[in-house]
Amino acid sequence: MKENNNRLGWFFTSPYLLYSIVFFLIPLIWSFYLSFTNWDLIAPDFQYIGFDNFVKAIKSPSVHAAFWVTYKFMLVFVPLVSVMALIVAVLVHSLPRYKSLFLVGFFLPYLSSGVVSSLIVQGFLSFNSPVNISLRKIGIHIDWLGTSWSALFIVGLILAWKFTGYYALILTASLESIDQEVYEAAAIDGVTGNQRFWSITLPLLYPGFYTTLILAFGVTFGIFTEVYQLTGGGPNFATNTWQMEIFSQAFKNLQAGYASAVALLAAIATFISIYIIRKLLEMWGARNGWV
Amino acid sequence: MKRNICGLIAIIMVFSILAGCSSKKNDAATTADGVTTIEFWAANNPTQQAYWQEMAKAYELKNSKVKINVSVIKESPSSEATIQAAIAGGSAPTISENINRGFAAQLSASKALVPLDTLTGFSDIITARKMSSTIEPWKFADGHQYVLPIYSNAMLFGWRLDLLKELGYDTPPQTFSEILALNTKLKAKYPDKFIWAKGDLASSTAWKRWFDFFMIYNAASNGNKFIEGDKFVGDDKAGIATLQFVDDLRKNKGILAQNVADPFETSTSLFIDLGPWTFTNWAEKFPEMKYNENYTLSMPPVPDGVDPKASKTFADTKGLVIYASATKEQQAAALEFVKWVYSDPNNDAKWFEQTKLPPARDDLSTNESFKVILDKNPELKPYAENVPNAVPPMDNPKFNDLQTILGEEAWTKVVRGEIDPTTGWENAKKAIEEALK
Repeated sequence: MKENNNRLGWFFTSPYLLYSIVFFLIPLIWSFYLSFTNWDLIAPDFQYIGFDNFVKAIKSPSVHAAFWVTYKFMLVFVPLVSVMALIVAVLVHSLPRYKSLFLVGFFLPYLSSGVVSSLIVQGFLSFNSPVNISLRKIGIHIDWLGTSWSALFIVGLILAWKFTGYYALILTASLESIDQEVYEAAAIDGVTGNQRFWSITLPLLYPGFYTTLILAFGVTFGIFTEVYQLTGGGPNFATNTWQMEIFSQAFKNLQAGYASAVALLAAIATFISIYIIRKLLEMWGARNGWV
Repeated sequence: MKRNICGLIAIIMVFSILAGCSSKKNDAATTADGVTTIEFWAANNPTQQAYWQEMAKAYELKNSKVKINVSVIKESPSSEATIQAAIAGGSAPTISENINRGFAAQLSASKALVPLDTLTGFSDIITARKMSSTIEPWKFADGHQYVLPIYSNAMLFGWRLDLLKELGYDTPPQTFSEILALNTKLKAKYPDKFIWAKGDLASSTAWKRWFDFFMIYNAASNGNKFIEGDKFVGDDKAGIATLQFVDDLRKNKGILAQNVADPFETSTSLFIDLGPWTFTNWAEKFPEMKYNENYTLSMPPVPDGVDPKASKTFADTKGLVIYASATKEQQAAALEFVKWVYSDPNNDAKWFEQTKLPPARDDLSTNESFKVILDKNPELKPYAENVPNAVPPMDNPKFNDLQTILGEEAWTKVVRGEIDPTTGWENAKKAIEEALK
């Protein structure tokens, strides 16, 4: 019986295992191999160059920028998307009917193309757009995509708009799972609206909130389309993300070996960062008694 | 034992999938009945795609032993990335157009291209198409020709003639100081208008330097090559003068280096770099733009003391390449097809008429086949006349890296007022020399 179960288990998990081997494990090994060569993927000849690619990447100002830009995006994107998703989830949850319809509406930006939304934003922020013409009339002239802080903020805002509905969906599911009896018991004890949210809803929502936070932190390590379309990583590398750097080196400079080394450094930075963030979030939850 | 069998099955499955993913292009290249199939990748431009499809169909009618599949090079994320991925994945086409000299240098350094001059019949194309002078600067450092240039746009500057006239000018100014004087008049009358307004001026993306720095630098340096082989041969005086001109314009608020929609068409910008492809777009989107009525064209401005008549510019020029991964039969068939296309000047005339891109020929302004088109489209005349004054991009495989450095270290910093022109030029020169080692 036990052996039958084992076989059945392997049978059902094999498609995912195979998928992981083909699309994750083999490319990872391949990338590791490439990172020690100066191969551009198309030349018949190449050399093994040891750790040269890694040394070059560690010294590169654009790689330094990619490292720090990720954390700058975190500071903009994570608070924005968390607050917006929480507000949407709470508002939708409190609706008497048509909750799903509203959730689908908020979810739509997640399905939209990053290229299209970036182009719309580009037109919106153009020097001669109605918004900027109006702002100039009251003496405000901002080069939105040419100034470091505003370029970071704009990209963070587009991403927050895109992911709000998705995270709100997760948070709404968590809100739905909170037992109504808890609220009823609290009402009998005289708990008011504000107290109800901070002392009951938020702690019970924490597992869902934890999931969305981890997902949101993860997103910042993979930003590409919006940056590629809007700023190209500029001004002065102010929005040069890991993905942008890997793309530039691999597909513009045709340095696949060096790009693989940058990709591995990005992976290390991502794993370490996410691990630390996860631990901090667990500590925060435990300290407040939410987990 | 069972474990070993399971492991073996898993390995076989993985490799079966990988084998299934591999290309079978070469097997399918020549069919049993002797028909050679060529994959032709055209630029992602409807007029160019239509032209090559028409040519392919016409050729297939003449030659039943060749089948030409014309498809578009995907530009997601870029045409260069698509080609590189195709070569790496073993699914490269036989032949493609839309290849600039810099990218060709990257590909040839990786032995991905066939030296065209080694194929039988290549010299016949050059003779029949009358392009011996045009193709000469395309020779690579190793002495081979890897690209057959199709068109050559001598990039020009467009000027708002209506605005110029309002400011008391009948013709565009030609020197740096004349433009600065014009800027003073422009700002006095229209504080919200600029000499040059374009978001790309502040972008460090490599290719954007072709349409700002190199246009002006080529004029200032009498067409200096900038990089020759693996050596930086830039003209210091011309480089600093170019950056100084931009810096002076910036200081006098003559430059708007931020995202701005259609600046020239909406008169936000008095002048702008223009390629002839713009006219097709204008015909649809801005039909009110009329040559010699509300806009005119000129070669790039020159530093004071330099003869404006000797001005040089950047050649936005692209061509055809044949890939080394194609079979010998495919390579030969591809060259025969190209030879057939260019044996008739009417095919070049058709190209010119449909795409508005000047064919890379020495006789462009003298051949009767093109005269009719130029008479019908007078805005194309200055482009045709200046083909000999246009300098093609560098042929260094690191062109992307080098032009990014030029942007990051000098151009964009000067445009933003973060560095003075001399320091910017020196920094860029040092970094470029370092990158060339």
